[in-house]
Amino acid sequence: METLQQVIAMILLVLGTFLSLVGVIGFIRLPDVYTRLHATGKVSVFGLVFLLLAVSILTPLTAWKGILLIFFVLLASPAVSHSIASAAYKAGVPLAGPKRDDLKSKLERGSDKDV
Amino acid sequence: MQTILNIVIWVVLALHLIMILVAAWRTWRSENSAARLVGLDVASTLTTAVLILVGIIGNNSLFLDVAIVTTALGYLATVTIAKFISDQRVF
Repeated sequence: METLQQVIAMILLVLGTFLSLVGVIGFIRLPDVYTRLHATGKVSVFGLVFLLLAVSILTPLTAWKGILLIFFVLLASPAVSHSIASAAYKAGVPLAGPKRDDLKSKLERGSDKDV
Repeated sequence: MQTILNIVIWVVLALHLIMILVAAWRTWRSENSAARLVGLDVASTLTTAVLILVGIIGNNSLFLDVAIVTTALGYLATVTIAKFISDQRVF
């Protein structure tokens, strides 16, 4: 039973680290704020979730803390990423790449000078 | 099996620390404050991960409580800064 726990925890740790790595690489390589939010908002959060799963498996007595933190992270992180994106859009941060801006008519945008 | 797990945990911890430095460097180099805010968000997620890994190494579940608090504060700070970026005021 002991080694099974450790093997599963190891796999989850490596998976979580790989996902965080992908998130950070996405944060470095992608051109502008909105595309970067894709990488960091989704991927590095899931890296954290796999890490928390590994902790919950390794220390089964206090597993409820890990589960609680997983639930909180999955709940709060999309909202935070959304707030960053809408703030950047309202502040007038330019979109990189071929522009397909669905929000252009509906929302007035500040000029980029005050960002 | 225990030694392999220890090695894996230490390697994962080192990787996370390197990632924090890389995210901080990219935040320093980014062009506008919204991108820097994304960098701060990444850094706070990664510091929570480092906290959890230290909790695994120290075999102490106190770090999970600290991780919960830092995650909550990190998200709160990020949302506040985002509001400041969009409206030039917080309240």
